[in-house]
Amino acid sequence: MATIVDIKEEKALEVQNFEFTYDGADAPSIKTLNMPIAKNSVTALIGPSGCGKTTLLRSFNRMHDLYPGNEYAGEILFKNRNILSKNEDLIKLRIQIGMIFQKPTAFPMSIFDNVAYGMRLQGIKNKTELKDRVEKALQDAAIFKEVKERLKHDANGLSGGQQQRLCIARAIAVEPEVLLFDEPTSALDPISTAGIEELVVELKERVSIVIVTHNMQQAARVSDYTGFMYLGELIELGRTEEMFVTPKEKLTEEYITGKFG
Amino acid sequence: MSILIDKLFAHLTKFIAIAILLIVAWIFTVLFQNSMTSMEAFGFDFITETKWAPNLEKFGALPAIYGSVVSTFLAMVLAVPLAIGVAIFLSELAPAKLKSPVGVSIELLAAIPSVIYGMWGLFYFVPIVRDAFGGIGISMLTAGIVLSIMILPFMAAVTRDAMNTTPDILKESAYALGGTKWDVIKDIVIPYAKAGIIGSFILALGRAIGETMAVTFVMGNVHRISTDLTEAATSIPVTLANEFNEADTDLYYSSLFELSLILLVISFTIISIAKFYFLRKKRIA
Repeated sequence: MATIVDIKEEKALEVQNFEFTYDGADAPSIKTLNMPIAKNSVTALIGPSGCGKTTLLRSFNRMHDLYPGNEYAGEILFKNRNILSKNEDLIKLRIQIGMIFQKPTAFPMSIFDNVAYGMRLQGIKNKTELKDRVEKALQDAAIFKEVKERLKHDANGLSGGQQQRLCIARAIAVEPEVLLFDEPTSALDPISTAGIEELVVELKERVSIVIVTHNMQQAARVSDYTGFMYLGELIELGRTEEMFVTPKEKLTEEYITGKFG
Repeated sequence: MSILIDKLFAHLTKFIAIAILLIVAWIFTVLFQNSMTSMEAFGFDFITETKWAPNLEKFGALPAIYGSVVSTFLAMVLAVPLAIGVAIFLSELAPAKLKSPVGVSIELLAAIPSVIYGMWGLFYFVPIVRDAFGGIGISMLTAGIVLSIMILPFMAAVTRDAMNTTPDILKESAYALGGTKWDVIKDIVIPYAKAGIIGSFILALGRAIGETMAVTFVMGNVHRISTDLTEAATSIPVTLANEFNEADTDLYYSSLFELSLILLVISFTIISIAKFYFLRKKRIA
């Protein structure tokens, strides 16, 4: 039903006949959704509020499992396994598939400890290894220069944009294969937003990225593929440069030209 | 017209607010004035003297201060770990179906008048402590246990509230890095809520140190400093509750006032520390 463009790259994730129902809801929030996510690319998910894009994103790292009663159906394939399976090791999964949230979420600890946190959870205690990887992650997140003098300071002293880049550093420090961005710039000013967008584009060399955004210009600027969702269904997945110019579906056209939203 | 009403209302509320401050100052003044006789007679020795002998006109506050401090300390040692456990359970572990009923019953427990804890302690805890630890059962230890039970619900409820202020998104961020429930509790929830948790402990401490009815029944009002916790003892409020109607001389009367002044200063200090250092509003991450 949905128009899905042929993806030439390898696939990082493959959603097959996916359905998701929130605890206590009568109807599923996502209905029989099929969607490939290209490797080492940025895939943006757009659509009006309540269309299920964040719900889909939070299924990729099984965040929904933190709250009882939510139900998945269908399959999400990642490295040749169905991550929705009951035996999936969620801790390993979340190390491999990282997430950045709507608001910066610096932990109540120092800048260094924030970035080292994920590595320490994995039991890495070697001080030189931690230090090297923390610095590398901070460099990759383009924030090292600003914080190198105050790694021991409380991370909450950083500005919103800096905190969000810190969160990105923290996420890439554990070397995930996929990074999920849930409206990462919705709490940031335009300059910080530009910084994060630049970073997203740079990061795709190393990780596959899925980004949920309310901002269509942002999707156009950062992504290679764009998926338009509406009422819990994927309407169209296309190459970004094509989809914003010549959408195949009428609904997509109406949405990106601002007829509803 | 409506501006006039606004102004009138503002002045009225201002007056009431100032009145409260005046009442506090008034209480302090009354206690201070009535303590003068005792202060002149004993000076600083009042605090260090261990003898309390009304028939000899000799009054030393140390046994009562000691009793207040030790019984409160015992109560805190017993209650803190339990309160943290209950709070962690309620804020992070309990299924939604349990959270609300258990939470509400703990808040109800916190509202039980302390005299009831005292009666319950006298009739049920005194024999238990007597059988288990020896002595007559009316003792410092019993007072500590009853106090700990009394402050536990309050502490657990406030600690839970502090833990509940941890934003979900912060916890999710830790889970998203591969954290377990235990990791999130110890690395995110407790550090985030730390100030509020310590604040709640200090408020509970303030309540325990001034608590009268719950301990009057089970402490014994014996002015003696003993390291044996199974012996009867006293505390400042216990002394006050027991002895005011026996105070037949000016010096006795004034000494009791000085005791209450000491208690007021201690409580005030404790509550101030809690309020100013730990319970300030913090910004949300």
